[in-house]
Amino acid sequence: MIPTDLKDNPPERRALIGEYVLGLLDESDEAAIRQLIDTDAAAERDYLFWHQHFLALADTVPAQQPYEGLWARIEQETGLAARKAELSLSLFDQIWGVLGRWRGAAAGAALGAVAMALLALFTPVFDRAPPTGGYVAVLQQPGESAAPGWVVRIAADGRLSLSPLVETAVPADRSVQFWTLVDPAQGPRSLGLIQPGQSVELPADRIGPVIPGQLFELTLEPPGGSPGSRPTGPVLFIGRAVQVASN
Amino acid sequence: MLKQFADHEAALAACARGDAAALRALYDAESGNMLGLALRLVRRRDVAQDVVQDAFVMIWRNANRFDPARGQARAWMFAILRYRALNALRKSSREVELDEGAAEALPDDAPDALEAVGRMQESAALRRCLEGLDEPRRKPVMLAFLDGLTHGEIAERLKSPLGTIKSRIRLALRDLQECLQS
Repeated sequence: MIPTDLKDNPPERRALIGEYVLGLLDESDEAAIRQLIDTDAAAERDYLFWHQHFLALADTVPAQQPYEGLWARIEQETGLAARKAELSLSLFDQIWGVLGRWRGAAAGAALGAVAMALLALFTPVFDRAPPTGGYVAVLQQPGESAAPGWVVRIAADGRLSLSPLVETAVPADRSVQFWTLVDPAQGPRSLGLIQPGQSVELPADRIGPVIPGQLFELTLEPPGGSPGSRPTGPVLFIGRAVQVASN
Repeated sequence: MLKQFADHEAALAACARGDAAALRALYDAESGNMLGLALRLVRRRDVAQDVVQDAFVMIWRNANRFDPARGQARAWMFAILRYRALNALRKSSREVELDEGAAEALPDDAPDALEAVGRMQESAALRRCLEGLDEPRRKPVMLAFLDGLTHGEIAERLKSPLGTIKSRIRLALRDLQECLQS
């Protein structure tokens, strides 16, 4: 049985957590220790203390070559495979699906500030026709769950604004670059570097004519941007332009 | 070893930001070591590959919960691996008496658990501290860590009463933590 005063008895706690690491506790003690590790910082330190030291023993075991398909399975299960395919697949339906969910959420009480802002932004799209008032693209984090991060608005006169919805954490030695893609055959076109958390406005002649479904994305690049004409780093946020009604 | 990432901490932080290249770098650096350890514990290659797969999926999903103030990134990763491997091991031993046919013979170069101390890095604190334990305390710890044996299995292997093994392991862990902290 696990003593109840474990938190105040570091040597006893550490020894029990050591037994947990070795896999020697019975099921009920194991569950209690697991919970302690998950909820108590000192217990988590003890847990990692043991693992750190036992690495020296783990490293005496010869490595084994994983079979070739293992990485592909990991990519599949983490959603990274889908993310890779995203540039060639239409995000359009996905974005509309997300917007639909946000509208549904409006009926409930728990509506985040971000969703509220977007709902206000998109209500005209759903409620009025025909669309003639420019374009909007919600840029989301690629991956399994939709996480909107930036909004691109293109006014009827062609000016573009890019506005952050969330903080984008970027390593000090990397830059964030803004791209658009009209025709996959021609490849993406750089719209320049942006500062995380800061809105940007671009003139119409920089953007050119926008078409429905046009892709916009932010990628993580070396300082000063991609050395070539194409993105080199991971996609941070991506989305497609949808038409907006005129107000 | 970790491509553009300085260390495991940096790569894990990049995973937390959704950088797939960081997960790949960790996979390239550690999947072989992890598979070796998982195979050693679960003794079946197919199960060991599943364990490594699960571990990397968990590393990716939980990277944002790793706190470098609480420990080292590599230890954190191997903690996840061990957790998955022990779960798989206990599950398979509950479901079937370990099928001798399905259990893969350990590779010829698999170190005997009791001899592994001699293969540890000279500088490792754990080596010094394990060498400081007398054999009756050291052996059960080695068998539990490297072979994933339970108290009962260790008692059987070492032909000692269960209660004796339990108290020796507890005493060994107390001695070890004292030594490792000094």
